[in-house]
Amino acid sequence: MRNKPASKPLTEPVLLILLSLAEKPRHGYSLMKDIESLSDGRVRLSTGTLYGALRRLLEDLWIERFEQDDTTREKQAYKLTPAGRKQLHAELERMRQLTHAATTRIRTREA
Amino acid sequence: MRAEQAYRTLLRLYPSDYRALFALEMQNAFERAAEEHRVLGRPVFIRFLLGEFVGLLSGVGGEWIAKLTTDSSVRGRCLPDLRMMRPPGVPRELWFAGAFQGHGRGSLPDEVLSAQARVSMLIQRTVHAIANHDFPGARRYSHEERLAREELRRLRQKHDMGDAGNDGCS
Repeated sequence: MRNKPASKPLTEPVLLILLSLAEKPRHGYSLMKDIESLSDGRVRLSTGTLYGALRRLLEDLWIERFEQDDTTREKQAYKLTPAGRKQLHAELERMRQLTHAATTRIRTREA
Repeated sequence: MRAEQAYRTLLRLYPSDYRALFALEMQNAFERAAEEHRVLGRPVFIRFLLGEFVGLLSGVGGEWIAKLTTDSSVRGRCLPDLRMMRPPGVPRELWFAGAFQGHGRGSLPDEVLSAQARVSMLIQRTVHAIANHDFPGARRYSHEERLAREELRRLRQKHDMGDAGNDGCS
C-alpha cells in the first residue's frame, strides 16, 4: 500500500489541490480556477501538471473520484479522503511551526 | 480549433492506461480553459498555449517514468469502475432509477441474475485487462460482454421485464 504518511513536504501544486478539495469536491477545470484564485493568480496549473498530480494523489489514496449531478467521463469530480485530509493537516501544522520558528528568530534578531 | 486538435494529438503520447483514465477529462478542461483565454487576446492565448503544451510534454515524460517504476497493481487500482460510471448523455435520474431497480434483485429470475453477474464479471475482466495492458484480452472480453448483454436483453424480454435500456449492470 502506498497510503503512508508523507515523509517530505508537499509540492505546491499538491498542497493547492488538497486545499481546494478540502472545501468541497471539484472537477478538473474547477480545480484549475480555484487554485488560481487561492494563489491570487500566481499559480496557474496546466492540465498536464494538474492531472499528473491527481493521478499520484489517487494512487496514494489521498483523493477519490466522486459522483456529482453532472458527472460524466469528460467531467469527473474528485474529493479528499480522510487520509488526504490528515496529510493536509500535517502539512499545515508543519508550515505553522516553521512560520512560528522563523518569526521568533527574526524578532530576536531585530530586538 | 487547431489548438484543440494539436492537444488531442499530443494526448496520444501518454501511456494508454493514463489516457483511459484522464484523456477525456483533460481535453474537456483544456477546451474550457482555451475558450476562456482566447477572448483575452492573442498574446494571452499564446502564453496559455505555451504553458499547456510544455506542461503536457513534461507530464508525458513524468507519466512514462512513473509507469516504468510503479507496480501495475498500484497504478491499476485507480482505474474507474465502469459499472459505476454514468455514460455521457444519460441523465442522473435515469441512471439511479436503474440502480434502485437493481436493489430488488430478490424478485428477479435466477437466469436473469446470473446473466447480469456474467456481464458484470466481463466488465471487470475488461478493466483488469486494460490495466495490465492486455489489449487483445480486453477486446475479447469486450466482445463477450456484448454477447452477454444481448443474452441478458433476450432474457429480460422473455420474462416480460421490458428493455429499459438499463440492464442493471452497466
